[in-house]
Amino acid sequence: MDRAPKLSIILASEELEKVHAASLMGSVAAMSGMEVSLFVTMNALIPFLKKTAEKQSFKMGEMGTSLLEKTDRFDTLLENGKALGSLKVYACALAMDVMGWTMEDFLPVFDDVIGVTAFFNLAQDGQILTM
Amino acid sequence: MIKKTIDARGSYCPGPLMELIKAMRAAAVGDVIEVWSNDAGSAKDIPEWVNKMKHTLVHVQETDGFYKIAVEKTHP
Repeated sequence: MDRAPKLSIILASEELEKVHAASLMGSVAAMSGMEVSLFVTMNALIPFLKKTAEKQSFKMGEMGTSLLEKTDRFDTLLENGKALGSLKVYACALAMDVMGWTMEDFLPVFDDVIGVTAFFNLAQDGQILTM
Repeated sequence: MIKKTIDARGSYCPGPLMELIKAMRAAAVGDVIEVWSNDAGSAKDIPEWVNKMKHTLVHVQETDGFYKIAVEKTHP
């Protein structure tokens, strides 16, 4: 059997709508048999902080408000993708170091903290989406 | 014919697809699962998933403002 196609997503935005879209695409791709890596870097880590998520103090517009009211939140989408397919979520090591954050500060969706070199190894020969 | 029906009305994309996938995992080859959804996006996306995963789309019916999408599990 052929190797599963790979999809790697670079998420660098803290806007809830983009975080939701990346999480949705990642989880549906995983549920469709793709091997998915989601690399969360820079400001995109902010919505994943427990303190942000608990207060729902996301950077968002009208769309984000509706998404929160009506749909599963991005972390639930990611949990579903992990349960039903191959989806790994990685936090950017540089961004974590610069801000002094540890895994304890975040919602429990991250599989590991990695650097750019490791990310490119994971992404090699697959498709890369940037959001 | 329909072995299991899932009522996913009120759930937005990708909720109905996810419910279908969970049921397909538990089903036996040859079983037909029907998912109900009032989400137009899911009515378009579920058949795409079925084709991609090489299962069989039995029907997509629109009745009383919602969709009934039936899928046969054709392989493990």
